[in-house]
Amino acid sequence: MAKQRTEVADIDRSLYDFSYGDSTEKLEAGLTPEIVREISEKKDEPEWMLQHRLKSLEIYRNMPTSDWGPSIAGLDMDNIVTYVKPNTDQKSDWDSLPDDVKNTFDRLGIPEAERSYLAGVGAQYDSELVYHNMQDTASRMGIVYSGIEEALHDPQWEPLIREKFMTLIPPTDHKFAALHGAVWSGGSFVYVPKDTKLDFPLQSYFRLNAKGAGQFEHTLIIVEDGADLHFIEGCSAPKYNVANLHAGAVELFVGKNAHLRYSTIENWSKNMYNLNTKRSTCDEGGSIEWVSGSFGSHVGYLYPMSILAGRKSTCTFTGITFAGTGQNLDTGCKVVLAAPETSASIETKSISKGGGVSTFRSSVVATPKAENSACSVSCQSLMLDDHSRSDTIPAMDIRCKHVDIGHEATIGRIGDDKVFYLMSRGISEEEARTMIVNGFADPVSKELPLEYAVEMNNLIKLEMEGAIG
Amino acid sequence: MGADVLNNVNAMPAPTWHRLGMNETAVELPEGLSFAAQVEVEAAAELIGEAGAFDAAVAALQERVDAARAAGPADTRAILKAVDPDVDPADLDIPALSTYEHKAARQEMANNVAEAFECGMGEQATAWLAEAAGKGAATVFAPAAGKHGQATVRIAGVDGAANVAAIDVVAPAGATFDLTVSLDSPAAGSGVVGVVLRVFAGENAHVNVTSVHTLDETWMALDDTGIVCDEGAFVTVRHRMLGAGKSYTGLATDLRGDLSRVDVDTRYLAAGQDVRDFNYIVRHRGKKTRCNIDANGALMGESKKVLRGTIDLVRGCKGAEGTERETVLLVDERVENKTIPVILCDEDDVAGNHGATIGHVAADQLFYLKCRGLSQEAAEGLFATATLEETALAVEDETVRAGVGRLAGRLGIPYQEVEG
Amino acid sequence: MADENILLNVAGLSAAVDEKVILHDVDLTVGAGETHVLMGPNGAGKSTLGHVVMGDPEYTVTGGKITFNGQDITDLSTDKRSHAGLFLSFQAPVEIPGVPVSSFLRAISAGRPGVGDMKGKQFRKHVKELAEELNMDPAYLDRELGVGFSGGEKKKLEMLQLLLLEPKLAFLDETDSGLDVDALSVVSRGMEVYRKRCNGTLVIITHNTRILEHVDVNRVHVLVKGRMTAEGDASMIADIDENGFEQFEQAAAAAAE
Repeated sequence: MAKQRTEVADIDRSLYDFSYGDSTEKLEAGLTPEIVREISEKKDEPEWMLQHRLKSLEIYRNMPTSDWGPSIAGLDMDNIVTYVKPNTDQKSDWDSLPDDVKNTFDRLGIPEAERSYLAGVGAQYDSELVYHNMQDTASRMGIVYSGIEEALHDPQWEPLIREKFMTLIPPTDHKFAALHGAVWSGGSFVYVPKDTKLDFPLQSYFRLNAKGAGQFEHTLIIVEDGADLHFIEGCSAPKYNVANLHAGAVELFVGKNAHLRYSTIENWSKNMYNLNTKRSTCDEGGSIEWVSGSFGSHVGYLYPMSILAGRKSTCTFTGITFAGTGQNLDTGCKVVLAAPETSASIETKSISKGGGVSTFRSSVVATPKAENSACSVSCQSLMLDDHSRSDTIPAMDIRCKHVDIGHEATIGRIGDDKVFYLMSRGISEEEARTMIVNGFADPVSKELPLEYAVEMNNLIKLEMEGAIG
Repeated sequence: MGADVLNNVNAMPAPTWHRLGMNETAVELPEGLSFAAQVEVEAAAELIGEAGAFDAAVAALQERVDAARAAGPADTRAILKAVDPDVDPADLDIPALSTYEHKAARQEMANNVAEAFECGMGEQATAWLAEAAGKGAATVFAPAAGKHGQATVRIAGVDGAANVAAIDVVAPAGATFDLTVSLDSPAAGSGVVGVVLRVFAGENAHVNVTSVHTLDETWMALDDTGIVCDEGAFVTVRHRMLGAGKSYTGLATDLRGDLSRVDVDTRYLAAGQDVRDFNYIVRHRGKKTRCNIDANGALMGESKKVLRGTIDLVRGCKGAEGTERETVLLVDERVENKTIPVILCDEDDVAGNHGATIGHVAADQLFYLKCRGLSQEAAEGLFATATLEETALAVEDETVRAGVGRLAGRLGIPYQEVEG
Repeated sequence: MADENILLNVAGLSAAVDEKVILHDVDLTVGAGETHVLMGPNGAGKSTLGHVVMGDPEYTVTGGKITFNGQDITDLSTDKRSHAGLFLSFQAPVEIPGVPVSSFLRAISAGRPGVGDMKGKQFRKHVKELAEELNMDPAYLDRELGVGFSGGEKKKLEMLQLLLLEPKLAFLDETDSGLDVDALSVVSRGMEVYRKRCNGTLVIITHNTRILEHVDVNRVHVLVKGRMTAEGDASMIADIDENGFEQFEQAAAAAAE
């Protein structure tokens, strides 16, 4: 029998690939101080924020783009609309939203998810939040979950936001952090008071609907000492034939003995340049857990960073990246062990197929203060055909004697022996391969809330289905 | 007398964040160096080959590579379309390649052995070393087909000078050849001691390269190697980077022929303010090619080390397996260790593995050693002693053994001499 | 046994790993020059006892006292116990890549009377003689510690260290050596030379009695489920050979009540 290869179909994105019309108000495309001033004016911001934006723009203009990552030559900033206001103000019930916006989120299943298992939901449509709501029980606990701009206008929270805003991710960090600092709009603010534990997750969903636009939301989460939060971030966009840009920023502050789990399924359309920055810092005994799935985007740069600043703080990172036709996804994570007895555990999987390119990139830094700390990194890459590409670039900088740093990585394809074994038990080749890929992704899906795990498994199944032989 | 700074030395093929300071290094050469060209070669006269032998061997290989390419199916991958100069960067069906991925695709299309040839330290350093060795002064070792040969090249520090040997090894079909290179500084002084080595291992040839650095801390070592393997060729490289204030080691291997293989066994020691800087690159191009890179080292004092290891599984290397492992013992608090084990892959039927273990002696090993009466410090010291003694055991050369003994004395490492 | 003859005294020793108690209130007294056997079924804690006496940080001592040669060693570090004259042969010796056997042997001999004072040449000669005594190919001395060694070769290297260091008391963890004829003969040879040359004291850990065929045993101790359940003279070996450990298990169960 001639050996046949499973041709893997392109992902079925119809689930996300739809649009109910365009938002009404757009700024001119491109990037000038005038546009930045206009955004700030529309938002009626404090003067310090305007200054921050202008300074960031200056940094952006003087900073080179990276020379090590995927090319962004296809992204013409002069054609990107940085601010797109939806045709509605922020609401706290879905029915008050205009039909196009409401239908979009209905189709994405957000209101249903809110009813069944979430403690609160924020939904952003292009540049602004259109919906924000949290259960009464959570607000009675003193938890704040609101639009970050709303919080910025609240005298109770403005000083705290001013103290923390873009301190973990300074505009000087990289070119697109600077861009974010200049044109950011929308995003969520979460404050969980001391010793408060929220049993159900909060979720923010970001939908970029406008063609040729950018989305630059800023998420700021503060989990005070002894508190516990699970935060979910979802994102999607319809596919256009021109580039869209996402350059969000996520800053997470985890207090002493506090715990934060941050889960993301990123499923942008394949015209998206996703240049997102996420960073967390943990105080003594604090822990951050990242669960990260990257499926969409034309180009992705994403490396959530954990700074273990307090003694005995911990980090776990579980990630999966699936790069298909036309995609170049450069993902991974960064960890800084900066205090004694910290520990970090990183497990990632990446899959390449259909000519896609996936790169796992990481950095683990142990400072001289990291005595008795440990970090283990395990990354596995699966090649589903011989015309894709998968690179692994893990850097380690260790400046402390009493540490245990372990790193393991493997790359390869689905073993013929495994397929043969399953087929010998009566399973079709296609089913066998899907099974193996699902098994490969299992460490990630089992960390996701059930609904997301199902979504992820469906994405993989759709990828694997179709023509065999 | 050439440049004062060599830039872009030991550059990784696929770079990462610049702020980590690992992508490449700049080598500041001591001021006012003269070129010494005082190299001691110990080899039978019939082993000395002609200048140009290396280029001729590569050209002959190119003919077969071209013939194989012409016989194979055309490559129509999207990755190659991305290299087309007329491509629209806004075409969303073509992956947006990084600078490195772009270069890799261009190199695959060109399929040119001579153009792709590299030594691990990179163009500028390789050219400077060749110049320092003297134009046309390369020693060429060319054993006869099917025959065995061996040679030792000793390069000793010359005060105020760069003393560099340029060596070509051209091993034809079935030949075996053992080359030992010693970089040593028996006399006091300071300067640069270097070697630039090109190896062509022909069909089923077997070449063993051993390079030992036993220089004092006032010297800089530059050790630059490029290897091309024809079908079934097997090259083993033993690197013993034990001495020198600063040492830079680059090694690049093109596993061009099917079933060719390279094994790299590296041991390093660094103490005081020493710097150890490594760049290993193995390109798997032939089918069922193999590589094992195994590095073990101990860092003492305030030494700094960076080891870049890249296994590149190029499309077409069906059945290739590349493995890379580094174990680093950090003996003192103030050391800096940078490790970056990279796998690049655009082939599916391959196995690439890498691992790194960094820190102190493993708990089970430490308990065993303590059971035998060694304190924590003594257990850590054992690894430095072992690195020196292993070299003396493995390399049967009196210059090397004397150098290792001198190094042990200078570093205050307990050391028992090997009986000659 | 007269008190002054006591070399090792383990009194009321309890030890745990990760909260799980493995040794319960264990007593063991060994006189100088004697040969004791520690027997018991799989998982009884026999190897653990050897490791705890040697100070393995894997285990936490939760009670009791270990006295060796008149000195309380309960809190002493492992390397100091070794220098005090205790030895533990490992059931599965570790591998240490990059460390030649010769370098390792020289390092462990440092600071010990006799072998520690030998000059390089003299030391190598001494090691070579010991290797020959154990039918060990001297080529092994240039190899990396344990790397690629067979079970028998690993055992030989353990016995070589026993004869090199000449401890006052050796725990020989031979739990599995009965399975391998080659290893068995190496251990027998090692024990014989050690007993003869150093008037050595032995605690042989095993659940297999074949290894004891040519050894004069003074006392037999039976450990079941982490408790010492019986003690007697050499005749117990034949009894255990015939009837197994079931007879002791009831006592252990009763003690656990």
